[in-house]
Amino acid sequence: MKVFARLSAGAAVAAAVAAGLIGTAASSARTTRSSKKSSASSFTLGVVADTGGLNDHGFNHLAYVGELAAHAKLGVKYQVLVSTSSADYVPYLTKEAENGDKLVVAVGFDFTDALGQVAKEFPKTHFAIIDTPAQTIPGKPKNVEGLIFKSQQSGYLVGYLSGLVSKAKGYKTVSTVGGQDIPSVTAYIAGFQAGARAADPKIKLLNAFSNNFADQAPCETLADNQIAQGSKIVFQVAGGCGLGALQAAKQHGVYGIGVDADQGYLGSYILTSALKRVNNAVFQATQDLLHGKFTGGGNLVYDVNNNGTGYGRLNAVAKPYAKQLQKLLAEIKAGKINVPTTMLVK
Amino acid sequence: MKSSALKRAGRSAVIPLITVLTAFVLAGLVMLVTGNDPLSSYGAIFDGTGLNWLFPWVSGHNRTIAAQDLQQTLVAAAPLVLTGLSVAFAFRVGLFNIGAQGQYTVASVIAVWVGTVFTSMDPVIHIVLAIFLGALVGAGWAALAGWLKAAFGAHEVISTIMLNWIAIWVASYLFQEGGPLQGTQALGNPVSNTIAGNLHLPVIWGNPELQGLDVGVFLALIVAVLYWAIIRRSTLGYEVRAVGHNPTAATASGMNVARSYIVTMAICGAFAGLAAGIDVFGWEFQVSSTTISTSQVGFLGIAVALLGRNTAIGTVAAALLFGALETGTAAINLNPSSINPELAPQLTLIIEGLVVLLVSTDLIALRLLGLPRKLGWGKPQAATARGDALAVDDPARDPAEALRPEPGL
Repeated sequence: MKVFARLSAGAAVAAAVAAGLIGTAASSARTTRSSKKSSASSFTLGVVADTGGLNDHGFNHLAYVGELAAHAKLGVKYQVLVSTSSADYVPYLTKEAENGDKLVVAVGFDFTDALGQVAKEFPKTHFAIIDTPAQTIPGKPKNVEGLIFKSQQSGYLVGYLSGLVSKAKGYKTVSTVGGQDIPSVTAYIAGFQAGARAADPKIKLLNAFSNNFADQAPCETLADNQIAQGSKIVFQVAGGCGLGALQAAKQHGVYGIGVDADQGYLGSYILTSALKRVNNAVFQATQDLLHGKFTGGGNLVYDVNNNGTGYGRLNAVAKPYAKQLQKLLAEIKAGKINVPTTMLVK
Repeated sequence: MKSSALKRAGRSAVIPLITVLTAFVLAGLVMLVTGNDPLSSYGAIFDGTGLNWLFPWVSGHNRTIAAQDLQQTLVAAAPLVLTGLSVAFAFRVGLFNIGAQGQYTVASVIAVWVGTVFTSMDPVIHIVLAIFLGALVGAGWAALAGWLKAAFGAHEVISTIMLNWIAIWVASYLFQEGGPLQGTQALGNPVSNTIAGNLHLPVIWGNPELQGLDVGVFLALIVAVLYWAIIRRSTLGYEVRAVGHNPTAATASGMNVARSYIVTMAICGAFAGLAAGIDVFGWEFQVSSTTISTSQVGFLGIAVALLGRNTAIGTVAAALLFGALETGTAAINLNPSSINPELAPQLTLIIEGLVVLLVSTDLIALRLLGLPRKLGWGKPQAATARGDALAVDDPARDPAEALRPEPGL
């Protein structure tokens, strides 16, 4: 039935496009064009998005934002390819490499094997991969750099906030909806659970995995179940799927917490968001390479100290705790709190 | 005789062509109103499909790129041929096989499992065995739906959809973190073990390390010929078409309708299973929970079969079109100034969606154009009206009719 879901999504896009016509069509479609200024630059940055697509309101979107920032501020040329299935991974990485790109960024662990294949065929091209240590790429190629995030820190911060809010409001349960049982997801959840317990040791924790990052329905169902079991705050760590979890929170009048990007724009029910600034990583990796720095075979680690992780805008309920969160952030920065990466409750 | 057959084939190609052209024009309008130039965009899409490789004047670096693009178009089209045939074959017996995705999924699990164990086996036997077992399990999975229909009258649309979800969830469980089939070297990643290099299908065009074109495309074409032979030249095919046209009349003529349903579904499942086999051994080499939940090959097969009007050659052509669209609309992103990268993948969906929509409404369109009589529409209906249930020689059954295998449903 997914084809029909896709078709209706297509129809929705068509409708949205038609609706947007009157107002903004020309301006929005052309922003990417007019900002092009440096055809003299020989540096091209290529981004290959995974199947989540550039409209995932998170991960891939941020990689693209980082690419556009690099284009605007560093004057590099840019190209982006969006995978529609895993069959696209090898050919798209190849396409970017053959195009003469200096740096090719693969967005996500899903590219691990494909990147291993392509990187050794193009030893002169530089590659970077989000969320995957370079050492785990097959063949350990020297032209690949891992862009790693300590997302447990972001999880801890929003978890702590959840604990504080729960304590004040008498909530007994908070929950998480993860996309998959993989380190880049479980780090967030582990941090969240540790943070929530640190603020409110008696808080009950629920978690579920959707095994999906694209379709909103499974995450919505899981969040519905958690809310029925008493969860008052739902933290989504499931990309596009997780938007369904936030939708469930909205419908049941409980709070939601966004992930990766600042998803506060979804509404006042979003307490805050756990950030993973993929855009900073993409920008930084580009700038480093421009300045002749490249950690081939190694990793760049992003955490609270280099503004890679953190929390997003706070809603009205969360605002009173802003000072406490800032203090906590400072403590994490100072290395006073070591946030765990293993989940308390699976 | 020959020329009339040719004429008939030509006639049945007209409508799908009109459908596709209309879809392209409408999608072009979408591009136009969003501030893009449809002509240059379509040019870029065409170049992106690699079909410009066929032009002798494309040379040098462009030719290398075109060759790679064309390889990817064919790699994408090969499984679509098979899932398309899987859906088309069911249509011929009057069943709607929405289950190709599930059949594809169970087959890919079996194929990758067989491919990563028994490592001491002779490579050729090993590949053949793995692909064969995958197809066999796919056949069994589909036959379940056929049996449910034959034995209990359970509607195959419902049962195949439910079997899809069972397949997809069980498969993602198998490869998830800590799942029984998660790869031993896949620390933290929900993927299977990887198939050894000597078990890859031979690459006939392009760099084997960079997903060149493997022999799977030939397998797909062989199956298409087989499909034609079964439908047009075998007793089984005759029965299938007879049951598809009128199950009651077929029963009255002594045909075993229940058996037809089960056998047909099994063949459908085998086709979808082969698609998984050529994907796993051709380019994928491993299966992950993510690919299982995002794969669309089986669902796209429905659109391919509808556009191909359930004929072998039509399905091959439609699969090529869909494969080319997937490759072409992605390559367009290479030039962000021609179309906004955030919208480009949606363009594929818009065109695919329009094709499906128009395929299912082509009767309306044709009536509006005043074309039906000239193109021989209405003939099958006339045949049925005469109660001539065995006049099953119409190569291009009305897909709208195929969608309604049982009146009143």
